Amino acid sequence: MAAITVLTPTGTLGYGFGDEALARGMALGPAVIAVDAGSTDPGPHYLGSGKPLVSDVSIKRELTALIRAGRHAGIPVIVGSVGGAGSGVQVERTAQLVREIAREQNLNFKLATIRSDIPIERAKRAVAAGEIVDFEAGSPLTEKLLDETVTLVAQMGHEPICAALDGGADVVIAGRACDDSVIAAFPIWRGADPALAIHMGKILECGAFSAEPFAMDVMLGTVHEDSFLLEPGSTARRASVKSVAAHSLYERENPFKQSGPGHEIDLSGCSFEQVGERQVRVRGARLTETADYYVKLEGARLAGYRSIAIAGIRCPTTIRALDAILDDVRRKALDYFAPASLSVVFHVYGGNGVMKELEPETALQREIGLVIEVTAADQELAHAACHQISGAMLHYHYPGIINTSGNLAFPYSPSDLDLGPVYEFSAYHLMKVDTPTELFPVRYEDL
Amino acid sequence: MNTRPLKDLADIVRSKNAGPYRITFDILFKDKARYEAVRATGAISAESVAKAYGIGVSQVSSFFEIDMANAIKITIKRPRAQGSSGDGDMYGCQHHVPLMLIDVPME
Repeated sequence: MAAITVLTPTGTLGYGFGDEALARGMALGPAVIAVDAGSTDPGPHYLGSGKPLVSDVSIKRELTALIRAGRHAGIPVIVGSVGGAGSGVQVERTAQLVREIAREQNLNFKLATIRSDIPIERAKRAVAAGEIVDFEAGSPLTEKLLDETVTLVAQMGHEPICAALDGGADVVIAGRACDDSVIAAFPIWRGADPALAIHMGKILECGAFSAEPFAMDVMLGTVHEDSFLLEPGSTARRASVKSVAAHSLYERENPFKQSGPGHEIDLSGCSFEQVGERQVRVRGARLTETADYYVKLEGARLAGYRSIAIAGIRCPTTIRALDAILDDVRRKALDYFAPASLSVVFHVYGGNGVMKELEPETALQREIGLVIEVTAADQELAHAACHQISGAMLHYHYPGIINTSGNLAFPYSPSDLDLGPVYEFSAYHLMKVDTPTELFPVRYEDL
Repeated sequence: MNTRPLKDLADIVRSKNAGPYRITFDILFKDKARYEAVRATGAISAESVAKAYGIGVSQVSSFFEIDMANAIKITIKRPRAQGSSGDGDMYGCQHHVPLMLIDVPME
């Protein structure tokens, strides 16, 4: 098998890469450009709302550079989890940008789009058939949860992307895809060892985060017969055994086992070897195909509408009394708006705003930043309740009060801000499928 | 014997989401000697991490010592799902402080 080089321009499409790094990387003769554009990491909003994680401006700018480079070299460009969550509207939005690029740059190529939306009825059938397994959500997927789900996608493996390559695609815009698979698809399609290609995908999908100094920048990986070699695009960076080994722990629970659609990879026998100053060779991944092929579902449901108020508290007497004040205004707001149901959360920065009940320290702070957050069934109610609480707090009287003219320093008028719909994860479960491609239709367009 | 906080002995102490329902902690050491010295004290364990965050050991979902990376990795279950009401850290990347302040017996 000939060596196959994958160029990954950045960790998330739209987050940038160096022009010099791309030019140098392209000069090394990659066989494909592959990049990930999303994850659950930014939260459930992008899945639920269909809004893009990164602006059209940034996506178009970077896709233009990549498609031009790909067309110039005659190699495919593959983008996975487009739009941030890979939902249908996000695939279409990105595809539209690709069409604009083709027109504006006067380029002709075959575009493949791959959808990853799962019909709710399909998932319900799987629930009824007992073909859903909880992944980490801690509770089973139910028909009720699916009825509440507004967007449901599944992570594709490399197979649908390989199907698009079989179909002659020059640019692949894929919905939700396992990050590793986006990078691994082309090498596997060309005959590389899937274990090595997928392990390389896991490291490469974050771009030059596995290099030092780390950055959102170009990283290259070359799959050989029995190993793969990593190298950053920019000569200002290097791959070291330490940077690569450290990165192989990042954002995952089990460093020795990597599960993906239809497979499990054992990394316990891996070795990292420094090659020259800037390259690292990786060996030893072992792949086992699972008896049944499962894909990971990701669903989001509407949790309500949110309004917030932001305020500072400087008075030490207020800060000392704060817990009791918050408990009281919350209780009064819930009573005032009953029977409507409200979720009221106080983020007390300077207290436990970041870690909540996991915060072990209790020292009193000089200054507190308070975010009052209300989620309700509609925006008007959320706004009304948020203002009721911020107003009640502003003029709250408590024992020992020294300043009777107001407890909150608001940086803004209006004090209460409407954040719109709020989404929560409703599905994070595995679903059994008959074939790796059945849920992920490929469409072609000649541009 | 004296103690030193983990942050003085480790090169990197970090936290991050591992999916919407977990926060994973990585402790990376400069070299094998430092990694083995800290590991040998047993000061970093599922029990000590649970204590540092005021949670039960059952909320610690895994604990790994990774020789090839001179690293220790601990993962906990999030008290609430990422992005759900009350979550204050969407990326889970600011949860490392109680861990880095754990005292390690060391001269």
